[in-house]
Amino acid sequence: MTETRTNGHDPAVIVDRGYRHYEGRRTGRRGAVRAIVREGFRRVLGLRRKAKHKLFPWILISIALAAVVMLVTITWVSSTAGNPAGADDQIPRYGGFFDFVSVVALVFAGYAGPQLLIPDRTRGVLNVYFSRPLTVQDYLLAKSGAYAAVILSFWLAPQLLLHLGYAALSSEGFLSYLGQNTDILWKVPLAALAYFTLHASLVFLISSFVNRVGGAAAAFLGGLFGLNLIALFFNEATSAPGARWTALLAFEQHPRYIRDWIFGFESSLIPAQAGFGPGTSLTVVIGLAAACAALIVWRYRRLT
Amino acid sequence: MTDQPIIECRDLYKRFGNVRALEEVDLAVPPGITGLIGANGAGKTTLIRILLGLIRPTHGQASVFGTRVASDPAGLRARIGYMPEGSCLPADQTAADFVAYAAELAGIPIAEGRRRASETLFLVGLHEERFRYLGDFSTGMQQRVKLAQSIVHDPELVLLDEPASGLDPAGREQMLELIARFREFGMNVLFSSHLLDDIEQTCDWVVMLDDGRMIHSAPLDPPGEADSVSVEVFGDPQPLIAALAERGGGFTVEGAVINVEGAAGDVFALVRDALETSGSSVRRMGTRLSRLEDILVAAVKETDD
Repeated sequence: MTETRTNGHDPAVIVDRGYRHYEGRRTGRRGAVRAIVREGFRRVLGLRRKAKHKLFPWILISIALAAVVMLVTITWVSSTAGNPAGADDQIPRYGGFFDFVSVVALVFAGYAGPQLLIPDRTRGVLNVYFSRPLTVQDYLLAKSGAYAAVILSFWLAPQLLLHLGYAALSSEGFLSYLGQNTDILWKVPLAALAYFTLHASLVFLISSFVNRVGGAAAAFLGGLFGLNLIALFFNEATSAPGARWTALLAFEQHPRYIRDWIFGFESSLIPAQAGFGPGTSLTVVIGLAAACAALIVWRYRRLT
Repeated sequence: MTDQPIIECRDLYKRFGNVRALEEVDLAVPPGITGLIGANGAGKTTLIRILLGLIRPTHGQASVFGTRVASDPAGLRARIGYMPEGSCLPADQTAADFVAYAAELAGIPIAEGRRRASETLFLVGLHEERFRYLGDFSTGMQQRVKLAQSIVHDPELVLLDEPASGLDPAGREQMLELIARFREFGMNVLFSSHLLDDIEQTCDWVVMLDDGRMIHSAPLDPPGEADSVSVEVFGDPQPLIAALAERGGGFTVEGAVINVEGAAGDVFALVRDALETSGSSVRRMGTRLSRLEDILVAAVKETDD
């Protein structure tokens, strides 16, 4: 500590704070995992970051919310024209909303995954993570948790607003509408979970090997659409023996098929056309998730 | 140093494919600040990563605080801080956010983590800059943030991998002063470097690695007065040699360099007087070799023999 006295004034004191030891509670691995989930959520949404990091995710979120506003507005206009809310089949409702914003959601999924994994690897931040009491599994689990938080929020928040909007416009009354549509409370999250599982598996696998965020997002989106085209070609343009099995490669279609199953829709998706049931799509999603998880863990074990 | 060793390695051996990174390393490091010195590729980083439990030795064992690393790597890492040699900072986070996050990763609760991040950044001289983004930091500032994240969670042992690398002389000096202060905070440090001066300036104990083998592990005596001087003059050195011989100073001649040692009094005074008598002009003069350099040269020679 240095003390300096100047002409009759109180002494100015420069304090060397030194170092304060910590003897309080430590949260252990659970606390570390929670921290990664929270930080991952912030990273994807650009929170506590410069404005340029916020721009893209919030544009996509705004589009999804704008779609809700549009659907609720159309429903309102339709109801004022004499159609009871929910009676117009042309207006997408909960199950249909997944398709209505599917492209935006896919782009968001392709953006979020690489953001969570690639900068940590390319900027050497993994060195900090793994010098803490964390295992590779803890890290990947926490990153998956962050991805789940952000992707499920992306799906569920607009659906919730949609639900409240339809309820507000309902001729049966707000609470009565909510009471009659309780099945939405499990159908929508379950369908969102199917989308999340497939997207997380593929985008994390790609992000584990690709070193550029844009490259990984492009590979994810290009891969999904490319495989769809291949499956479509073999199922519609050829009659080669065994061609129907290529329908299983249309990964993008599997969560949609599961969604159709959950909501009881008649499905015309590629796996359905090829004669596969929704149970097969569920098996593909689960199997793919398991295979991707094994590869990702292997990759990160080698990295560390 | 009568305390129990904080780091012990027994017959430590590590291969990466056909490359031998460490071989038969037997080591006991006491508390305090220890320098780990060796050329690039000597095995310093491999040893540090084994101590962190990030890689397993091919055979042999390492213990930290008396606990085998392999038995509880995560538990030990909670008590250790690590500053990696390369980049480890996300460009899009502020220094305060990142250091607080590093504290949370080590199990410090959120509010306390933020408080400690602020204090630690103050300690490393970045208090004013703590809300700036890391991508906008200079190399020296980034090194300080790396140091801050390594101590924010109050570790008992800090492993610093080339902490002064990439710094200008002033930055290096400040970094070494900071590390030397860890002693007063009661923190143990294992500090790797390939620069002898850094180790000599900061450490109580030195471990030398050469080509994966440990060639020296001993305390480093505090620097005393120079007992040998190396001097090089313009032109013919004979008059100076004659003047030194006249004054009874012991010396050896290596090309144009005269190494003076074994003087009864101040060796610099002896050389000064001899220079005055001989009328020689000094081209270069200084302490002959650093003590570590002597040790390193001798140890490498012994190993090679």
